[in-house]
Order: sequence, then structure tokens, then C-alpha cells
Amino acid sequence: MVRATMALPLETLKDRAAGDALLARFGLDLDCALLVGDGDTDWLVEIARGAIVRVTKGPFIMPKTDLRLRAASDTWKRFLEPVPPPGYHDLLALRRYRRLQIEGDIRLMSAYLFYLKRLFALLRAPGA
Amino acid sequence: MKAAREPVAGYYLNLELLGRPHRLYVEEAGRGIPLLCLHTAGSDTRQYRGLMNDAEITRQFRVIAFDMPWHGKSSPPAGWQTTEYRLRSADYARMVLEVCDALALDRPVVMGCSIGGRIALVLAMEQAARFRAIIGLQSGASIDPYYELTWFHHPQVHGGEASAAYVSGLMAPTSPDADRWETLWHYMQSGPGIFKGDLYFYRGADGDIRERLSAIDTRVCPLYLLTGEYDYSVSPEDTRAAAERIAGVKFSVMPKLGHFPMSENPALFLSYLKPVLAEIGTRG
Repeated sequence: MVRATMALPLETLKDRAAGDALLARFGLDLDCALLVGDGDTDWLVEIARGAIVRVTKGPFIMPKTDLRLRAASDTWKRFLEPVPPPGYHDLLALRRYRRLQIEGDIRLMSAYLFYLKRLFALLRAPGA
Repeated sequence: MKAAREPVAGYYLNLELLGRPHRLYVEEAGRGIPLLCLHTAGSDTRQYRGLMNDAEITRQFRVIAFDMPWHGKSSPPAGWQTTEYRLRSADYARMVLEVCDALALDRPVVMGCSIGGRIALVLAMEQAARFRAIIGLQSGASIDPYYELTWFHHPQVHGGEASAAYVSGLMAPTSPDADRWETLWHYMQSGPGIFKGDLYFYRGADGDIRERLSAIDTRVCPLYLLTGEYDYSVSPEDTRAAAERIAGVKFSVMPKLGHFPMSENPALFLSYLKPVLAEIGTRG
């Protein structure tokens, strides 16, 4: 079986996030195992004290995760557009229109929502 | 940089609101037709800084905004420490009228955004004769909940940052960074539980006015509804659904704006607002 390529360039996330001022500002003391998926492939983003320490491509058998965010590949593609259309421009916009599945520790997500939004926005920018 | 004083004046007003003494912070700029501006949930009058600093508008309009009790520089009523703040629709509408009376405003224009946009619809239904015109920004008759309120007031989460983060995506991605983050700063400064308390009427049955909208008579008071296209809390479709129930309403979508038009991109917002104000000004 041929797997579709994950639309989000997660393999570049660690480089993109390194030294980012907003992540530093809003990631104080954040420890989180974040699962990101497109319904086909899952990736595990491990964050310690606000820094991304590891990004691993699945599949995983029984991953220990704090938060799981999954959307269809086409949804992520539109999210990544330089100026996304209304409804695709923000994680909660995706959630509002039931395009994003959010599971796990919602307290953690709420406390670090700026960080998480920034993390995904960094995937939008070219480079890295 | 040369220091420049803005033509905006702030003062405190001591008055009775909802039968209790209050100390309210008010800002004003300009002369002419009174234009009372209502801020969004969990924020304050600073959202209208663009409007108050626009000479073209303040030549014809006396722009007035007040921080609701518990918001901005307005105090909560004495004894607040033993109560949970919960805004109710009828209280909100009454408060607007009491402020109009206290300032002796003669048939003002009222313009509100978000929760202010909802109460604008309530005022259009119930108090049309008292207003020259009503402008609802991001007005909807109800809300489709897509988030939990729990984390906006919880000892383990910074409520200001959480509230700001939840609303941050409601703005257009093309709005200027400085104005977007200014808008968010107001949210971060909000008192504990205030954003959540404002949403009490807004998300609940108390504030759901879908079935009452047809009572609005726009022949008594013209009603304008303007909604930014990037808002997913009150989307253009939500406002359109409300507008379809109101005969004679003037509804338009504002491209490249979101839930905080007057604050996230004041210059662009004013380009949509000025034709509306011109129409109101001409009618007198």
C-alpha cells in the first residue's frame, strides 16, 4: 500500500521552530507529546520545556500522547496556503467547521494555545 | 519621535446602573451626532481607538465608548469578590439605556461588536425609537458553540492568555500584526472570569434571539449589519441568516476583516463604515 505524503512538512518543524521568539514567549515550561495526523500518517512531536526535542513519523502502536490533532490531508493543504481562505486560517477555525479533531488534555491545549497555533503557523512559511 | 496628544478624552462617570452605584470609565472624541460604541466580550473601549482618532468622523460625530462594569478601567460593583460575573441580555440592554440617559444623549447612533452586536439587535427589537440608527458588527442571533468556557477562568490556566489565544484566529490573517497583537493585549488584560461571564448570555438560551428578529422594524430605526469574512464565531453566513429575518436591514460582508474590525485593522474598517455613517449623517 502506498501512503500519501503528509501535507504538513513536519520533518522540518524542529528547524523552523528553533529560536522562534513567539514559541519562546508562550512556551514557558511546556512539556507535551503532541500527535499530529492526517487520517493516514501520524507524527509525534515531543516538546520539553518549550523546545522541540524530537519529531517522529509513525505509525505508532500505543503512543503515549498528551494531545492529538488530526485533520484530512486536503484540510491541512488549505491551512498551509500563504493566505488561507476563511475557515482554514486557524486551528480553531478548522475545529469550528468540524474539520479538525482535537483529543486529549484540553487544559494543556488552552494554557498553551498561542504556542500551538504558532507551531502550526510556522509550517506555513516557506524555507527550512 | 515627536510626542502627539490624541484628541480623545477619558473621564469617570459615577452613576447608578442596574440599581447599584458604579464608577464607569468613558472615552469621547468629536462633536455632533452621538455615536455610542460597545466593545466586545472581555475587552474595553480601546478597541475604538481608530474611530476616535479619525478627524473625518469626529467632525460630524461625537464618538463615545464606555468600559462596561468589570472591564477596562471601570470597576466592578462593591462586593464583587463574593459573586460570579454573569452578563444577562436584559441587564446589558438596560445598562446601555442607562448610560445614554446619564450622558443625556439625544437619539444616539449605537454601534456594537460581537456581544455588542448581539445587544444591538436586542435594542433594535425593543428600543428602536430611542436610536437614530443601529449598527451591528459581527452580529448574530445565536452561537454554535465550538469551544469550552471552562478554561477562560481556571486557577491552572492564565485566563487572559487563554482567552486571547482562543479569539486570536477570529481576525483576518491579513490584518496588521501590530493591531492584531494590540487587540489581543486587551484580552490578556481582562479581569479573571470576565470574558467567560460576558459569554454567559451570548452563548446561552438567554441570548438566543433567532425567533424574535422579525419584530425589528427598520422603518422606526435603520439597522446596518457589517460582518468581517474571517470571523468564524459569527460568520458572514450567521449574520446573513439573521438578516434574512429582518425586513429592510442593510447587510454587508467586509472582506479581509474578522471579528474585531474596528481594532484589528482600523483603516480598512473605516473604509466600510464611512459610507454607512455618511448615510446616517445625511438623514440626520
